Amino acid sequence: MEPVDIGIAVSLGLLVMVVLGMRVAFAAALAGLIGLVWIFWSKKGYDPADFGWALSVAVKTAGQVPHSKVASQALSLIPTFILIGYLAYYAGLTRALFEAAKRWLGWVPGGMAVSTVFATAGFAAVSGASVATAAVFARIAIPEMLKAGYDKRFAAGVVAAGGTLASLIPPSAILVIYAIIVEQDVGKLLLAGFIPGVVSALIYAALIMGLALTIRGFGPPVRGFTWGQRLHALRPALPIVFVVMTIVLFVYNPFGGDAWGTPTEGGAIGAFVVFLMALWHGMRWNQFKDALLETAKLSVMIFTIIWGVLIYVRFLGFADLPGAFSDWITSLEQSPMLTLVMILLAYAVLGMFMDAIGMLLLTLPVVYPAVMALNGGEFVSAADSTFGMSGPMCAIWFGILVVKMAEFCLITPPIGLNCFVVAGVRDDISVQDVFRGVTPFFVADAVTIAVLVAVPGIVLWLPGLA
Amino acid sequence: AEEWNVSLWGKRRAFTEHVEKLAELVSEKTGGAFTLNISYGGLSQNTENLDGISIGAFEMAQFCAGYHRDKNPSITVLELPFLGISSLDQEREISMALYDHPAVRNDLARWNATLLMPSPLPQYNFVGVGEAPRTLDDYKGMTVRATGGIGAAMEMIGAVPTSMSATEVRQALDSGVVKAVSFAPHAHMSFGTIETGAWWTTNLNPGTVNCPVVVNTDALDALSDEHREALLGSVDEALDHYIDYYNNETMAKWGPALEERAIEQITYSAEALATFQQAAAGPAATAWIGEMNDRGLPAQELYDFVIGMIGQ
Amino acid sequence: MAALAPVLEDTSLLSRLDRSLYRLERVLALLSGLAVFGLMVLAVGSVGGRHLFNAPLPGYVDWIQQAMPLIAFMGIAYTQRDGGHIRMDILIGALRGRLLWAAEFVTTFAILGLMVLLVWGSWAHFQRSFDFTAPMWSRDSSFDINLPLWPAKLLAPVAFCVLCLRLALQLWGYGRAFVLNLAEPVAVPLVRSAAEMAAAEAEHVSGADS
Ligand code: NA
Ligand code: NA
Repeated sequence: MEPVDIGIAVSLGLLVMVVLGMRVAFAAALAGLIGLVWIFWSKKGYDPADFGWALSVAVKTAGQVPHSKVASQALSLIPTFILIGYLAYYAGLTRALFEAAKRWLGWVPGGMAVSTVFATAGFAAVSGASVATAAVFARIAIPEMLKAGYDKRFAAGVVAAGGTLASLIPPSAILVIYAIIVEQDVGKLLLAGFIPGVVSALIYAALIMGLALTIRGFGPPVRGFTWGQRLHALRPALPIVFVVMTIVLFVYNPFGGDAWGTPTEGGAIGAFVVFLMALWHGMRWNQFKDALLETAKLSVMIFTIIWGVLIYVRFLGFADLPGAFSDWITSLEQSPMLTLVMILLAYAVLGMFMDAIGMLLLTLPVVYPAVMALNGGEFVSAADSTFGMSGPMCAIWFGILVVKMAEFCLITPPIGLNCFVVAGVRDDISVQDVFRGVTPFFVADAVTIAVLVAVPGIVLWLPGLA
Repeated sequence: AEEWNVSLWGKRRAFTEHVEKLAELVSEKTGGAFTLNISYGGLSQNTENLDGISIGAFEMAQFCAGYHRDKNPSITVLELPFLGISSLDQEREISMALYDHPAVRNDLARWNATLLMPSPLPQYNFVGVGEAPRTLDDYKGMTVRATGGIGAAMEMIGAVPTSMSATEVRQALDSGVVKAVSFAPHAHMSFGTIETGAWWTTNLNPGTVNCPVVVNTDALDALSDEHREALLGSVDEALDHYIDYYNNETMAKWGPALEERAIEQITYSAEALATFQQAAAGPAATAWIGEMNDRGLPAQELYDFVIGMIGQ
Repeated sequence: MAALAPVLEDTSLLSRLDRSLYRLERVLALLSGLAVFGLMVLAVGSVGGRHLFNAPLPGYVDWIQQAMPLIAFMGIAYTQRDGGHIRMDILIGALRGRLLWAAEFVTTFAILGLMVLLVWGSWAHFQRSFDFTAPMWSRDSSFDINLPLWPAKLLAPVAFCVLCLRLALQLWGYGRAFVLNLAEPVAVPLVRSAAEMAAAEAEHVSGADS
């Protein structure tokens, strides 16, 4: 068998293992390891005497991956942002945000769900990790929605979908990871995520209001808050603004001076500010320990998937599957826009079976150069380009599209991390329940993607000013 | 048919042209019976390329000595600051000679690796924002992004080296977190520092990185005489091509790129540079020799070997 | 916060071993959480040093890279114990009795096989960076300030060994459940049955949760 055929065979094997219920991280690592043994042994013509050699080389090759891939500054943002999420929970910030959103927006049709979406969007401005956002709002927003009479599946779905906003609205771990993989300007990418994140939240809200108007007994609006109560609710939510300002000052100083640090430092400093607030709010060692354990658990789950998938990716490298794919994409004789749309669709399919970061790590080294080539190369001017934007702008635009696709994959079955996290927090809600409740948001996400593809200005306006 | 896997990283660029050329020449000379299968990042992380060679996962790889000094202490002598190497040709000649030194061969033999050829890079220099440092005193208190030996050298004249990944450099320079960044010219172009920078030091030359291409020794020994000859006999031509390409493609773009962006070019006088070298080069070399002696290397001999060749 | 899948306990040897190991796993996971907190403190130190004393932390990036394996690996067995590594349970959730325990046994066995091999592979990775005769025992070091890498590389095989112990206990648990045809075995994460979920739902009608 040719290496590419081995690549395809092992990939099918991985799919079978995942469907059979093997834990995804280990299934990917095992598939990768088996594939490596196969590749090395095939190089020696399957001579039984060489099997031991092939096994040893494969095991040692795979054994490098966990340490070498995980010891990365870019990935350090993930646990930091997860910690922010839990600390903000103990600092009472998430509850304050939700309460304020409820009093201001609860009166619209589907008010509690709309409030949840805008509270998650507001929280997204301090949280850079979608899973952590989903985890903390599952504790706060779901009970309130259940009390108001919402279907528990839908309530869980709103939180799972709202949580994804944290990856578009800056700060965002996944945008930084994209920037680092493709070597683009981190600051501009973060800036570019802002408007698409807001658009995405508005489309979610529109969808909820549409559902509330058409479905009987959907969940009543929450009325009766006085202006005094509304203004009163803003005060406890104000510290969020302070944290946002701190993080912003690290990326860009609006007062004209130097910024205070780099985006990765900004994330960590934001966490520190929230930590102080949580202390102020009365967090004690036991709660702090809980926050640390929750952070460790969620982080290790994500990192295990990352290195597991990367062992599989290492095998794909030896099988030269990425090379074959790249050749195929560039040889297509069709309109580049159609190719781009097909790539996004492929992400939707792949995203069903993968974690968001694993997916980016797996695909970008292959897909990004192909997309840049479609547009006319890295240094192309807007006038000479296919999509009407310069090389660096195309990198930003594609980055936002890919990150939106990655968010989408956080809520699609069978492997939708946000849904697992929400179900993990609420023991009365199964993973299947969350997947059912989140289904309407697929439509919203499809609309958002279409808008971002059709009107690149939404993405490029803000970074274009900088 | 003989097929070797080659682990590089990034994408095809001036820095990898010698390997591409080598693959072309070897295949040509053996009528396609011996091929080099080049992978950009698919087989290994760049900092693990020596590990992969030692395991036997692939047969050829490129890496930079400064990524992991303890893996390849002997060749880091070529990364010492202010050695005074002035051209890619000189860098190539000295590297090739050093790679043949018994102490260096033994050092790399720990990884089952044989050094094949260097990837000569020009000296690093600074692109910066704000007031240009016209004298070396101006570096006092300046935050710079400079790693390893270059960072240590800059510290000796009062600059403040700040640690960050290469991809955050542009953002840090944009926002004033660091005032200057040291890279080789091609990296200044690809990481976009010249889009923000206001000045460039033409001749500070605080050092560079040494990035050899190695082969797995067992695989090299296992080659037929004809194939080995095809490989080793192509190295010179591959390097000629590399240097020609670097000078005529990359460096040819560099001058115009600076002028297009009206970046001020700062050239230091010979006296100023001599002061700098005195302040930084001597102590760095002494420290290196001390540490490498502890590692059991004939450090003084290696240092004298390199300095002797530069003096010629 | 409730775990995704509950692990039952009793007074049997298996359950006692399970709980002893769990205590160790918890300590390791807490270490990982503290390392995340450490990252934060490191950033405060680096930024503070730069702004207040014009003296940033040398090798800030190198130190982050040293801390990452602590975060990524130390909690791996803790997460496995509670069934926290995600999987698709549509198929396995439909199985009952011996068939379920057999399926769990087989996938857990496959993971144990994988992890034993990865202990070997990650140990070899550590060994290549370690040299008793070298200064600081180091044969591989970081980019900027030349920190030895072997301590961070050693964390992978150590954490994977603990995971192997955990997997061995779970194999015992699933094997016992299969042989004795148990409905609710101890020491393994259970897939919730529909009935249990209904019961849990009843408890939660008030929606009060914190
Ligand atoms: Na965010
Ligand atoms: Na998914």
